[in-house]
Amino acid sequence: MAIIKAQKTTARAAPLSETSVVGWLHKNLFSSVFNTLLTLVTLYVIYLTLSSVFIWGFWDATFVAENRRECFNNSLTGACWAGVIDWFDNIFYGRYPRDQIWRINFGGLLLALWMAPLWMGRVNGKVLIAVSVIAFYPFLAGYLFAGGSKNLFLQIMVTGAIVAFAINMANMITGLTRRVSLNVFVIQLFGKTSAAEKSQRNLLLLLAGLVYAAVFFWQMSWHVEVVNWTKWGGLFLTLVISGIGIASALPGGIILALGRRSKLPVVRVLSTGFIEIFRSVPLITVLFMATTMFPLFMPEGFVLNKLVQVIIAVVLFNACYMAETVRAGLQAIPKGQFEGAHTIGLGYWGTMGLVVMPQALKHMIPNIVGSFIGLLKDTTLVSIIGLYDILGMLRSISKDVPWIGLHKEPLIFGAILFFTLCFSMSKYSRHLEVKLSAGNKH
Amino acid sequence: MYAPQSHQNRNAIVTSETESMPAVRIRPKERFNLFQDQRVRAAMYQVLAAGIVGFLAWYLVTNTAQNLEARGMNTGFGFINATAGFDTDFKLIDYTPGVGTFGRIFLIGALNTLLISALAIAISTVLGFFVGVLRLSPNWLVAKVALAFVEIFRNVPLLIQVVFWYIGVFSLLPVVKKTIDLSFGAERVLLNNRGLYMASPIPGELFWMTLVALAVAIISAIIFRRQTRKLQDKSGTQIKTLLPSFAVIVLLPGLVFVATGMPLDWDVPALTGFNFQGGTSLPPAFLALLVALSIYHAAHIAESVRAGILSVDRGQQDAAMAIGLKPGRVMALVIIPQAMPAIVPPLISNWMNTVKNSSLAIAIGYADIVSLFMQTGLNQAGYAVEMVGMTMAFYMAISLTISFFLNIYNKRVQLVER
Repeated sequence: MAIIKAQKTTARAAPLSETSVVGWLHKNLFSSVFNTLLTLVTLYVIYLTLSSVFIWGFWDATFVAENRRECFNNSLTGACWAGVIDWFDNIFYGRYPRDQIWRINFGGLLLALWMAPLWMGRVNGKVLIAVSVIAFYPFLAGYLFAGGSKNLFLQIMVTGAIVAFAINMANMITGLTRRVSLNVFVIQLFGKTSAAEKSQRNLLLLLAGLVYAAVFFWQMSWHVEVVNWTKWGGLFLTLVISGIGIASALPGGIILALGRRSKLPVVRVLSTGFIEIFRSVPLITVLFMATTMFPLFMPEGFVLNKLVQVIIAVVLFNACYMAETVRAGLQAIPKGQFEGAHTIGLGYWGTMGLVVMPQALKHMIPNIVGSFIGLLKDTTLVSIIGLYDILGMLRSISKDVPWIGLHKEPLIFGAILFFTLCFSMSKYSRHLEVKLSAGNKH
Repeated sequence: MYAPQSHQNRNAIVTSETESMPAVRIRPKERFNLFQDQRVRAAMYQVLAAGIVGFLAWYLVTNTAQNLEARGMNTGFGFINATAGFDTDFKLIDYTPGVGTFGRIFLIGALNTLLISALAIAISTVLGFFVGVLRLSPNWLVAKVALAFVEIFRNVPLLIQVVFWYIGVFSLLPVVKKTIDLSFGAERVLLNNRGLYMASPIPGELFWMTLVALAVAIISAIIFRRQTRKLQDKSGTQIKTLLPSFAVIVLLPGLVFVATGMPLDWDVPALTGFNFQGGTSLPPAFLALLVALSIYHAAHIAESVRAGILSVDRGQQDAAMAIGLKPGRVMALVIIPQAMPAIVPPLISNWMNTVKNSSLAIAIGYADIVSLFMQTGLNQAGYAVEMVGMTMAFYMAISLTISFFLNIYNKRVQLVER
């Protein structure tokens, strides 16, 4: 005989030890005598650290002062942030002429706007946007930052960049408001939706050509004041070097990684040797090689400036690290993908470019962000060979007469700045990793 | 039904099910095309690649030779035997400026790099394992503190940390007159803004007997441990080894040391003039670089240790707890041994990075190979190509050695796993 209840038993609430704050505290902090002791000691250490940091860095600190003497007069035990605040412009822009700083800000704004559609779900053509940034933005930014006269090639590229930027923005607007990409919208506008594909394409090309020509004539009249590279510095220089580094290390790394996995022995040995040599030596020796040996490598009378030497070194060095990232990404692609691509008749470049690389690159995005973080941190090494990047600037504060001997505060400011940048990026890359691997599960 | 394969035509595929159908010839006769043939194309690509690289090398070498000649610079490795006229404040081997050669300078720099790397590797590995285990502590607060440690020191550039420890900590220590005594009044370990001063032992005549006793004690402890292991495997009887081994290792050399009349003197640092003389001294740059490298790499190692531990199946821990092991022994006997194959490769690549990152010594003037040989030496002698090349070759040799051992380890682990 079985006893069956007519009504369903109501579920009991979870025990208090699982849900309440006290339960959580007991489980995670005070579960045993030893644990309680550990928690209390840790709390005490945290209290000591935080309180002394707070008193030194905030409570006793001086934020407004003319020089270090005034800081000392205000308080002997507190930080002297006034020196750092006084040098803010130098820390961020180096010795860039103060009335031209808008160019750096404008360049940064352009880049942010250009890349913004990459994070918008409604906008199409993300791959094209990414490629256009890498292909065109450096020329526009280079012209904007350096100024001076432009030769024909630079004019063509700058015009291309402006047109690409304009198309990108228009595409973003049509995407956001009407959920169509720009080309579809233009064709609708001209009422050619039912026309043949060829005439549609001709119309688009004609319009793009007209815009290009107009912009080309418009930009010919531009004149931007020359700013010598020796005046570049601060965070701006750090970002320029690491930005160029990551943008050119990616294609270089892809080529090297393909070379390393190639079936052709000569290509494989050359790529492997190149990668391993650069990966086994410290960056500082490569930078030294760049500054002491590159002048000897060049034909007579051909002089590279120091910034270009450093950038070449950083690019070579990072391409080799990127090659290993790409190789790991390629190894994660199952063999079936290669075989499938061969079966439908694709050759080597077709297989790699259309089937393997797109999948591998998508998986590598978190690692690429990781390399960028590493590169950003490594770029501080250029201060050793005499470029005034952000660390160079931070260290010069202590040599400035009003702030003589002010060492600690600038370095801590730099540490906080880098921590904010790198930590947020690494959090973002971890988020991407989770997102991408979640989308990959079937 | 079994149908024998056709032997007449190797290129043909015979459909075995329908025997009435004639063999179908799949591969059509190809006309030989120079640019379409795979082997020809492969050979062409390789010749092209080799040609480009060869041309580049030739171009750089001829340019360099021309430039060197135009600037009247010397070449060749003759400078190694030339005397160097500069001194260094930290050296492990004898060297006198004006007498010692550039080869000697290279050796001093290399030894200094190896010394600081080895110390930093040892400290960062121990600290990294400790923090990595703390990251997984059941105590929420401890785990979060470990997390903060890892994130803070991983995300700040190492160079900033090195400079900060040097300028912000070790250079701001009390002056010589207000030296901190770390040995609680015994004046054996002293710290001030000129560095760390330690008393160094001077072994007496009969001190070798103590060393022999120590070796005997260690060997006998190892044998004892092996025997107890064997006994445990055979009969299950456990004998505690820790206390007896410890007693033997301390008591035997101690007794010999006392019996031979304590033949050990200490070279104690003493204040003479403006600074301490005698004993062993480590300059602030050394201490700053050591601390910065150890902490930075400990943060990285902690992350790989944590990842390695998490890679061990949770059931292993449950099973170990179920048979009654204490939490510490679960870690030491069950989890860590299984996590090792996942921990070791990133650990060793971290060691390699430590060696490479010790080159940041150049920013604070510790006499490692880069700052002593490749910077100061290069400024004095001016053999740019040779000196940069030798420095790079030194680092390459180290990284090749390390990856050689890593490969051996990986093979052993794979064999065990089978």
